[in-house]
Amino acid sequence: MPPWNMQPELTLFARMRQGDEEAFVELYRRYKDAVYRFALLRTGSAAQAADVTQETFLHLMTRPEQYDPARGCVAAWLCGVARNLARRETRSREDAMDPDDLAEGAPGLTELVVADGPAERLLASETAEQVRAALAAIAPHYRDVLILCELSDLSYAEAAQVCGIDIGTVRSRLSRGRAQLADRLSGLGLMQGPGRAKEAS
Amino acid sequence: MNTGNDTLHPAVREARLAGRLDELKAALAAATPPARLEDSLVSAFRVQAGRQRRAARPLLWWMPALAMVATLAIASWMVRNPAVQPAAGPAFEFFTVPAAGNDPGPFMALKPLDRIALEPQATVVATEFPREMLAQWGLPVAPERVGEPVRAEMLFSAEGEPLAIRILD
Repeated sequence: MPPWNMQPELTLFARMRQGDEEAFVELYRRYKDAVYRFALLRTGSAAQAADVTQETFLHLMTRPEQYDPARGCVAAWLCGVARNLARRETRSREDAMDPDDLAEGAPGLTELVVADGPAERLLASETAEQVRAALAAIAPHYRDVLILCELSDLSYAEAAQVCGIDIGTVRSRLSRGRAQLADRLSGLGLMQGPGRAKEAS
Repeated sequence: MNTGNDTLHPAVREARLAGRLDELKAALAAATPPARLEDSLVSAFRVQAGRQRRAARPLLWWMPALAMVATLAIASWMVRNPAVQPAAGPAFEFFTVPAAGNDPGPFMALKPLDRIALEPQATVVATEFPREMLAQWGLPVAPERVGEPVRAEMLFSAEGEPLAIRILD
């Protein structure tokens, strides 16, 4: 991620804290899509994603003091809030699992995750929907890092902030998550054909 | 799980995975939250901001307004019910309070001095009223300044009862 000038968003944030409605609307319009898409991938349900998005921005307006600019951008903080909200229903299951036990091939893991996965069709593209479903079926700890780093354009440091882990753990989870996802896509026959342009060239 | 994925060269595997993630990312670009969400959040923000504004008001925000109302009420009452004054002697009692800087002058007591002396937490509040009221109280007023307001300070008890007034100019 290129260097990011945080001053404009910090100014908006300060104005919002003083009760400036326009500043809140600007912050909402700036980050709503990122939060909603993260929640959509995290929950697998459009209705739940809308609820999580709403709760996230309610949190922004009622608990703005929790945001620490020294730890990252507003988008990363909001994704962290959205992640915590989305985890509420699955917290007990996820917390019961040691991330090291979530490596590919762990007994019973696939059934557990798939059984909890979404059945709702969310995307218009058939292939994209299959990739999303495959992503939803991998272990939650890997899925979060994959969503944040690969699909939400957050840096490793910001993903670490969102997940409450260190950057080294982000890298290892990202690597394992990519491997799990590649296996699942391969099983679906989606690893055939062209990849990114650099492969084609 | 044998998926046949292992037969791919790692670079090819990575590139194809990246391509699928790009497809997902492109499809996600069309996913946006419902439009009604913004309306409900803006409504909630207005409620929240109103609550914050009320909480941020100073505790004694009502004192200046009360001082003005009390001043006018006292002045009106004094005009309608002029006290029978002895021929010689002050109409009001005056007293001073210790001041750290310049002493702006004595207060004119509106309550008995012993009652004022017992007040533990009296508060001084700045106020203004029409200068013509001074004349109605029998105090001297320069004719050229009749139209100007009078700056004054009122001494209130902790319960908001006016105790004394001090004319500043």
